[in-house]
Amino acid sequence: MRIFRAGLRKLVGRPASIVTVGLLAGLLVLIIIATATVSQRSGSPRTQQEALLLVTFPGAYDIILSFILGLGGLFAVIYGAAIAGSEWSWGTLKNAVARGESRSRYMLLTFAAISVMVAVGLALTFVIGVGAAIVGATVANVPTTGLNDAATLGRLPEEFLRGWFAVTEEAALGFAIATLARSQLAGIGAGIAFYFGETFATIFLPDIVKYLPFAVARASVAVSGSAAAAANGGGGPGAASALSADTALVLVAVWLVGSLVVALGFTERAEITG
Amino acid sequence: MTASPSTLALATRGLRKKYGARVALDGLDLSVPSGVVYGFLGPNGAGKTTTMRLLTGLLHPDAGSIELLGRPFARGDRRRLFDVGALIESPSFYPYLSGRSNLRELAAAGAPVPRNRVEELIELVGLKDRAKDKVSGYSLGMKQRLGIAAALLSDPTLLLLDEPANGLDPAGIVAMRETLRHLASTGKTVFVSSHLLGEVQVLADVVGIIAAGKLVREGSLETLLASEAVVRVRVPKASVEAAIAALTSIAPTTATAAAGNEPDGADTWLRVQATPDRASEINRALAEAGIYASGLEGGSDLENLFLELTGGEPHAGSEGTFQGIRA
Repeated sequence: MRIFRAGLRKLVGRPASIVTVGLLAGLLVLIIIATATVSQRSGSPRTQQEALLLVTFPGAYDIILSFILGLGGLFAVIYGAAIAGSEWSWGTLKNAVARGESRSRYMLLTFAAISVMVAVGLALTFVIGVGAAIVGATVANVPTTGLNDAATLGRLPEEFLRGWFAVTEEAALGFAIATLARSQLAGIGAGIAFYFGETFATIFLPDIVKYLPFAVARASVAVSGSAAAAANGGGGPGAASALSADTALVLVAVWLVGSLVVALGFTERAEITG
Repeated sequence: MTASPSTLALATRGLRKKYGARVALDGLDLSVPSGVVYGFLGPNGAGKTTTMRLLTGLLHPDAGSIELLGRPFARGDRRRLFDVGALIESPSFYPYLSGRSNLRELAAAGAPVPRNRVEELIELVGLKDRAKDKVSGYSLGMKQRLGIAAALLSDPTLLLLDEPANGLDPAGIVAMRETLRHLASTGKTVFVSSHLLGEVQVLADVVGIIAAGKLVREGSLETLLASEAVVRVRVPKASVEAAIAALTSIAPTTATAAAGNEPDGADTWLRVQATPDRASEINRALAEAGIYASGLEGGSDLENLFLELTGGEPHAGSEGTFQGIRA
């Protein structure tokens, strides 16, 4: 537990944590406010109506969540890679190992701290997004009566938990890549390349890509009427996955565990020379 | 070394390590007695840092064994390091955290550390005024101080320090030396890897010299220096052969490596393998042969011993050595 708590403290004070959440929340707020403002000036009533979906509750909950889980996935890969890579680049893993700490335990608990930060970051961004949507609704003169929609609020916790699990898997992937690369920059670069590589591969190999980590992460959160939005949100690959949400969730777990096993196994055996 | 295994704080036997085709350590046998400051000397690329990494479990040996504090240390014996503190290569910290926070977070790994230990160490290494500042703003010397504090976190019985004087100012070096001497006086063992011969000469009780991955000499500093005692005499170049003939009857005498490269008319240094108390005898022998020395120095120092044992030249597979400039 000491390492886990220390890991959390290190992440809380880390600029990368603040920048990642700030960027995600900032983009979300920007999009919501811009959409609400611009929709007022749009000539076509249909365009106006579509734009206002972003600030119309309860649908806004799903759109905000899908945006966070979509773009959040990419940010999670980068974040996971940054944290794991820096342990090698900065030589701080060396310090812990030389003090007699178990390599795999240290890395596992470091990742556990990352997963907590992912949950906090997602929750914070979601709250900021909802706040921005309320402001946007006020600006656009859209009623906020759907804010307390019981059905939507009832399924949000499950969707959020699934989303957190999926984003954690994506962070684990970045974590594993950076560990193998033993470098922050190489890990981030490879993580981003993997993310977009999978996106483009969807065009040519949809039947294979649907089992890959980012596709299963998106499919795993598609549990309700908001599924389509979740699958297409945040600029991620638009593959209409044939996998059910529950099957995808199992595959998310497989990718998560697999990534961690690779990262921890490599760390355990690696010769630390930096 | 004659110390029995039970009195050794650290021992390696036949330690081997290769990086690809390059042999970094080739059967290293170290014997570090308890309660001393041990100076581990060697030229660049000799295998010092590789040894430190093996001793702290960062690397795994290809062959050979390690004993830490009287017990074997191999893969899976990481808890043995709970009694060991180490500073290996350059100090490594989270740049965005303060010096104090870095020590606190590092204390979470490995052996438990008493709550007030971090503050004690910050004071000990003289970082109290800057403990709140981010490490990214620290100078090399400050990072080195923090690294030494990190090595001392668990109040270790065995302290392994790789080039601890790096970046320290003269006052910092003196303070570090006093701290390490104090630790040794309390029964702790301090293993210092360095290429700063002067620093080791004033700090260490026992010295080990490594070259090309092998231990070439080990023993107490006093004994090593006595065994390598020489008297150097400076004679006119034209009289070198006569001087050698005159002095060989006293002790083996050789011209120094630089002999022959001096300009015409310059004097040449000869090296007589004799203790300094025989200097007058050597001077008399030269005078009786009609040769008058223009210089005479007695004694031995670690630098001469080091250069002699390590060859003063790069070994195959090691890093390069400055060759010096010859007119």
